[in-house]
Amino acid sequence: MDTPEHAAHAIRWFEAWGHAARFALAAAAAALSRETYSAATRAVAVRQIYFTAWQLLPGFTVFSAVLSLLVIQITVNAARAYGLSDYALELVFRVLVLELLPFGTALIVALRSGSAISAEVALMHASGELEAMRAQGIDPLKREFVPRVVACALSVAALTVITCAIALVLAYIAMYGVSPWGFAPYTREVAGVFSIAILAGFILKSMTFGVVVAGIPIAAGLEANANLKSAPIAVMGAMVRLILALAVIEFVSLAVKYA
Amino acid sequence: MAAAPDDKAIAKNLPFRAGLLLGLTVIIGVGFVLYVLWARGVFEATQRLTLVSDNAEGVSIGMDLTFSGFPIGRVYRIELGDDGRARIDVRVPLKDARWLKKSTIFTLERGIVGSARIRAFTGNLQDESLADGAERPVLRGDTSEEIPRMVASLRSVLQNLEDMTGSTGSLQASLGNVKTVTERLAGKGGVLAAALGSDEDAKKVLLAIDHANTLLSRMGGVAQRLDGVLAKADDRLFGNGGVVDGTQRAVDQANALLGEVRESLKGVDRILADAQAVSGNAKAASRDLSALRAEVDASLRKVNSLIDEINRKWPFNKGETQIRLP
Repeated sequence: MDTPEHAAHAIRWFEAWGHAARFALAAAAAALSRETYSAATRAVAVRQIYFTAWQLLPGFTVFSAVLSLLVIQITVNAARAYGLSDYALELVFRVLVLELLPFGTALIVALRSGSAISAEVALMHASGELEAMRAQGIDPLKREFVPRVVACALSVAALTVITCAIALVLAYIAMYGVSPWGFAPYTREVAGVFSIAILAGFILKSMTFGVVVAGIPIAAGLEANANLKSAPIAVMGAMVRLILALAVIEFVSLAVKYA
Repeated sequence: MAAAPDDKAIAKNLPFRAGLLLGLTVIIGVGFVLYVLWARGVFEATQRLTLVSDNAEGVSIGMDLTFSGFPIGRVYRIELGDDGRARIDVRVPLKDARWLKKSTIFTLERGIVGSARIRAFTGNLQDESLADGAERPVLRGDTSEEIPRMVASLRSVLQNLEDMTGSTGSLQASLGNVKTVTERLAGKGGVLAAALGSDEDAKKVLLAIDHANTLLSRMGGVAQRLDGVLAKADDRLFGNGGVVDGTQRAVDQANALLGEVRESLKGVDRILADAQAVSGNAKAASRDLSALRAEVDASLRKVNSLIDEINRKWPFNKGETQIRLP
């Protein structure tokens, strides 16, 4: 008796991922199309960047700076205590800058904007706004969704870059103080850790995080129907899938780098 | 929808803020990428140096080549050569290449903690510079390889130490002997006991010396009486040839014997002095002592037999002139 329900559940789960994948492909195709970039879509994107990155910036910057300082101080002091201070910076770069901060940024943006986007799309779907757009000959994918996905990717990239830059500066100060003479060894450590492949992987990972943070909630929001009560379920499914996807991306990135 | 009124309020500078944020991101991002490229020496002219090693374990790409503790080059590539030896391709920036000379020695060391280190040692900085693309062997030292060897030799050393100090070890036996000797030295017999091996032997020697002393004093008495007796005998029995002759012979013998005894006792005195001065040649003294004891015994036996003979031959006043040995 349970079995058909489980099976149906599993099918729905796969269907949901299928929707997301199909949406991702369609969005990628639309992003490559020139007509996607119009004044109207730019306005949507700018608004999304404002909500996702600008509003979040002060609080998140302070939060990530405090977290970074904590991790850096613990790492540097522990490394010094064990006589391994040569490896402190490398540890900070590899753990904090390359993994924790990008993942934390994506997670925060997912919790804040991902849920909002999912709810908005679900309500647009339920209220028939999307249908109205289609009736006017406007493709909601190009007009509403792709700009959001692009804006989210840019926002996550911006937040990641800014928090990582702050962490790099804090790491320098924690390691060498405000003396300029630590620059040469610091540069050597940077050169040792950030190879071209690592940098490319870092950029790719951040962009993927950004795309997923918007893409999965939109795809989930589209699953909602005319019934308003389907919206919360769509949002919940969006968040579960989103966090799972972020974790999978992080694991794959780690596996490629260190396995 | 719900955010629509807000949108209108902020609509004016929205693109500016978004642009500012993205511009800042691009500047930081591009700046960092350029910094990394510069740090990795992409914009710097380098010269090549190939280090050949029989084992490149622990060497990684991007590793530093250090000179006097300063990194002057970086490992660019590692490959296995046709001869089965590792070839470590190092790129040295031209401004740092001046530290590398033809006589420079390269070492590859692995510590217990951390990765391997490649170091360059230049003894003569006036030497000719190392050419671009030079190939040099690298001397290798590996702490982790040394450890098993060190542990093996340490174990044998410990085993030897244990054999020596164990309850059946030679050191323990030697210490036991030393203890016995010192106990004897501290005991009644002192040096003599230590030299002779037991208190009983030491006692015997001391007793023999005492006896010899007593004998010596009595001998003095015997000789006086004998002189007196001989005088009397001379007076009274000069005519009686048989008795006088026999007595005369006996007295001669006694004198000779007394001479021997005196010699022996001189020896006793000498050895006694040696022994009591607790000199280092206690062992030699003990050897002398046993010989001396035998000598003294022999002398005493001879005196005894002589006195017996005198007693036998002495015709007068037997009870008075009985000579007794101590």
